[in-house]
Amino acid sequence: MEARRKGQIQIKVILVFVAQKLLRLGLLLMAVAVFTFVLLSFSPIDPVQAYIGADMMQISADQQAIIAERWGLDQPLWSRFLDWLGQLLQGNMGTSLVFNQPVSVVIANRFQASLQMLAIAWFLSGFLGLTLGIVSGALAGSWVDRLVRLYAYTLASAPTFWVALLLLIAFAVSWKIAPICCAAPPGVLSQNVTFWQHLHHLLLPAITLSIIGIANIALHTRQKLIEVMQSDYVLFALAQGESLWNIVRYHGFRNILLPAITLQFASLSELFGGSVLVEQVFAYPGLGQATVQAALRSDIPLLVGIVFFSALFVYTGNTLADLAYPVIDPRIRLRGQAHS
Amino acid sequence: MQRLKREGLIKGLSILLASCAIASCAPTSTETTADNNTDQNSGGQSGSAEQIVLAIGGESEEGYDPTLGWGRYGASLFQSTLLKRDENLDIVNDLATDYTVSEDGKTWTVTIRSDAVFSDGEPLTAADVAYTFNRAAASGGLTDVTQLDQATAVDDTTVDLILKQPQSTFVNRLITLGIVPEHAHGENYARNPIGSGPYKMVQWDEGQQLIVEANPNYYGEVPSIQRLVFLFVEEDSAFAAAKAGQVQVAAVPQSLAVQTIEGMTLRDVTSVDNRGLMFPYLPANSKQTPDGDPIGNDVTADLAIRQAVNYAIDRQALVDGILEGYGSPAYGPVTGLAWEEPEANIEDAQPEKAKEILAEAGWADGDGDGIVEKDGLDAEFTILYKADDSIRQALALATAEMLKPVGIQANVEGKSWDDIEPLMHSNVVVFGWGSHDQTEMYNLYYSQSAQGDYNNAGYYAAPAIDSTLDLAMGAPSEAEAVAYWKAAQWDGEQGVTTKGDAAWAWLVNLDHTYFIDQCLDVGQSQVEPHGHGWPITTNIADWRWTCD
Amino acid sequence: MTLTANKPSISGQRKRQQDNKRQQTLVAIVLGTVFLLAIILSPLVLGESGLNTVLTQRNQPPSWAHLFGTDWLGRDMLMRSLHGLSLSLRVGLLAASVSALIGTGLGLAAGTFGGWVDAVIIWIVDVFFSLPHLVLLILIAFAVGGGTQGVIIAVALTHWTSLARVIRAEVLQVNSADYVQLAHRLGKSSLWIARHHMVPHVVPQLIVGLILLFPHAILHEAALSFIGIGLSPHLPAIGIILAESMRHLSTGYWWLGVMPGVLLLLCVKAFDWLGENLRSLLDPKTSQG
Repeated sequence: MEARRKGQIQIKVILVFVAQKLLRLGLLLMAVAVFTFVLLSFSPIDPVQAYIGADMMQISADQQAIIAERWGLDQPLWSRFLDWLGQLLQGNMGTSLVFNQPVSVVIANRFQASLQMLAIAWFLSGFLGLTLGIVSGALAGSWVDRLVRLYAYTLASAPTFWVALLLLIAFAVSWKIAPICCAAPPGVLSQNVTFWQHLHHLLLPAITLSIIGIANIALHTRQKLIEVMQSDYVLFALAQGESLWNIVRYHGFRNILLPAITLQFASLSELFGGSVLVEQVFAYPGLGQATVQAALRSDIPLLVGIVFFSALFVYTGNTLADLAYPVIDPRIRLRGQAHS
Repeated sequence: MQRLKREGLIKGLSILLASCAIASCAPTSTETTADNNTDQNSGGQSGSAEQIVLAIGGESEEGYDPTLGWGRYGASLFQSTLLKRDENLDIVNDLATDYTVSEDGKTWTVTIRSDAVFSDGEPLTAADVAYTFNRAAASGGLTDVTQLDQATAVDDTTVDLILKQPQSTFVNRLITLGIVPEHAHGENYARNPIGSGPYKMVQWDEGQQLIVEANPNYYGEVPSIQRLVFLFVEEDSAFAAAKAGQVQVAAVPQSLAVQTIEGMTLRDVTSVDNRGLMFPYLPANSKQTPDGDPIGNDVTADLAIRQAVNYAIDRQALVDGILEGYGSPAYGPVTGLAWEEPEANIEDAQPEKAKEILAEAGWADGDGDGIVEKDGLDAEFTILYKADDSIRQALALATAEMLKPVGIQANVEGKSWDDIEPLMHSNVVVFGWGSHDQTEMYNLYYSQSAQGDYNNAGYYAAPAIDSTLDLAMGAPSEAEAVAYWKAAQWDGEQGVTTKGDAAWAWLVNLDHTYFIDQCLDVGQSQVEPHGHGWPITTNIADWRWTCD
Repeated sequence: MTLTANKPSISGQRKRQQDNKRQQTLVAIVLGTVFLLAIILSPLVLGESGLNTVLTQRNQPPSWAHLFGTDWLGRDMLMRSLHGLSLSLRVGLLAASVSALIGTGLGLAAGTFGGWVDAVIIWIVDVFFSLPHLVLLILIAFAVGGGTQGVIIAVALTHWTSLARVIRAEVLQVNSADYVQLAHRLGKSSLWIARHHMVPHVVPQLIVGLILLFPHAILHEAALSFIGIGLSPHLPAIGIILAESMRHLSTGYWWLGVMPGVLLLLCVKAFDWLGENLRSLLDPKTSQG
């Protein structure tokens, strides 16, 4: 009887939490969208000129007027904004200027490509970061620790795109074991691309993306583990003759899990940003590349759509982290506030 | 125990998520044929008569819709055009069997062949032609058909194109506008381009590659190379892929053309892709553009300065040093084309002659600072160039060096187009043009073209030249217009080039350099124009794989 | 009291170790500052030599004459890197300083006034945090039209959030401390309390936060320039130099990308090092590992 009531209360708490989160999400997305639209509309970059590019001499003023009309650029700002808002409320994010396709389709296509890379990078950075952090923290002061710290500190200071460049030079140009670009071998029909070929093209970009995440997570994990190792109960365990490995396994791991999870989900935002740079270097046709193209051509519908989408993505990640806390540490109750 | 279970759950979930993402389907691509059991080619590694891979850049992100501008450079691949230019740039028939222009120059009557069929089996009729032209005129794309008033199909094989005003250069629309099927043209046409061209689309992985296959219903000779793969990569990656033997045609910049690749030859294609210095023609503070930007520059408004610059520069040195020899000197906007006026060419690299010209016009170095003055004005101006273009940067820097000994001080600055726009009517700018369409010359030099944008940015105005240009536009055919286009450059007494008004200092024409597999015969290439596109593919239906 | 450190408890040795540590920290700070100042001031000292186009010596690998090699126009890469880095550092410093000011101001306001001011500021911080940093940068840089000003404004407007949070937390903590409550009871004005109790806690955080902000600002400026959105002047910043090097990868001119990158890395590390050492000096709680 008691257990069932408790269960019911738990479900109710979760539902309330989710509802609050959704409300905040809605508010956030609206604010982000308005903010983005207004911001971009003041940009002095002219999408018509950006579109015409080198064909300037072939396009008369009349034709330029027609192009402006095609994208509704001849309307005043407030009218364009209201149009866009109206469409948005109906679930239509508009048409991309660059790709001549509905924004939602562009994002869906591009994100599918990016997702695989992001997933691998996320998993790798979490797993390797955690492992390195634990090893380094447990063996604090040793040469292993020094090595890991050197690696982590160096990478945390290096620009992502530069690391990507170095890896490209080393693995693709010099040693020729990774492809120099793209998501699949050239000339192969998509249904004929094998899983391994796919992975082969994904690997280097994903590894590059994960490298900096590994550095951050490793450093933070190491710090937490050192703090744990300096606590009283660890001292007690050591006095009882417990081995280092067992201490790490039974005491260290659980206590660092919470901060580690927080970091993991927070790194989603960094990964997304990093993917913009990595995709440029590896010519990987994902959402990051689309963002740059949209920005360079002042493609407002697409850019707003991407911003919208990325806010959703990051928010979901943070919410998942919030949901995970009480699972890991039952002392924590679900709260509606952001954890600092 | 509870905790361990939870941890296990979390770990398990994340592994599941990750593997789902990895194992999920390949990135979406637009596939238009159900050619599921197509053969081989595990990696597009080496070419064959079945398939070649091209890395010539320039993906059309908008899709492959001619009414939006697809195909204006090079082959339309999927569609066919009424006319086309052969390797000598002479106009020959393609879909059209004949065309005539009315007395007043406003009605173009075209008869088309009756055996053309779209890739979906439907026949191509004059109705489709009329639809295409009308649609292109109204669509906000990169093809300018605004001179068209109305296109009507007289019968199944005859169409009337009625213009608002006579325009001899309208023939270029007949050459570049691919015909789309009226029954299949809609919003999604750009990603599913049905046409009567030599190839049809198989698959388009956006941002990566385009795969096309020969169209068996093509009315002309079916292409001998069965399948083409266009790879969309940067120039540098194109080079790397060529080195790795993965592509058979790679467009590379001149700086990479000096490298060698085993099994490939470097193809050096002449082009009219030019670079030159545009001078503001009017004196400073004459007036302002509609946007309020200043027009005019007192130094460059002097004919002597403009001519001196033209004579002082050593164009061959620019070609050798900056273009690695892959280029040629340019003395006018259409150097290398049939409507070039060879009499306009000058002997450049003559700093002494430049000094003479300046001295005769009253420029002298009074204060010994190495810069000549006239009436208290130093011969100094700024050369602007698009900042991230290394060739323009090199040209600007090199010409500034060449002008120093003559007494002209040129200060070089790199900026983005947005920053250049308000300054381009009062400063010297490095521009690059070059087209098969003479409308460009009209836009560069006609006085009324200057509206405060890129057309005639220097506000050049010469009434005699204006009337010559009008005569060229109003001529009944391109062949007859050529005489006038030539006269505008230099007719013995006046012209826009150095001997006349020296409105620009044209510098060089770039060569377009490609690495081509030794087994691939690409026929003879046209003189290629400036612009993003695939000019080398103009004759792609005739390409042959010569190895077994 | 730990078991992991094997420190002998002889007081003399311990004091010597502490002294050495303090000396080390000071030396580190001085070295770091000198190195960075040298980079920033290098264009003034070295002038424009080496930046001329000398087409005959283009594309040369690193040698004693040209430590970083030459580029495709024959310009010395070491000179270009120093100029570029100096520019990037100056831009980064300017943007980071503005950002730090904004962050401190907002953090102080949030902590001191509380209530709806705090709620609004926290909400704004959340909005900023919900967008990937680079996407936000691109957005703002573009809205302002790109170029140098675009990058500076974009970086300045996005890096204040972490600092604001830290300062706000610090202010809240100080506010709730006993001695501050006592001061209030004793009738001291808010201004007096701010000056005597807040400032000593906030200033160290500000300085350290500022120094640690620079690397982020610089890296982000480099990233924006790399994409093509940032600085595009005649004398390019380090991001552009690295972007240009991409065009020459397959020809094997590796020095175009590797060397400038190493220099950038060293600068960023110098800032980190400087920041960490300053922190252990100013905030003794963190000085013992």
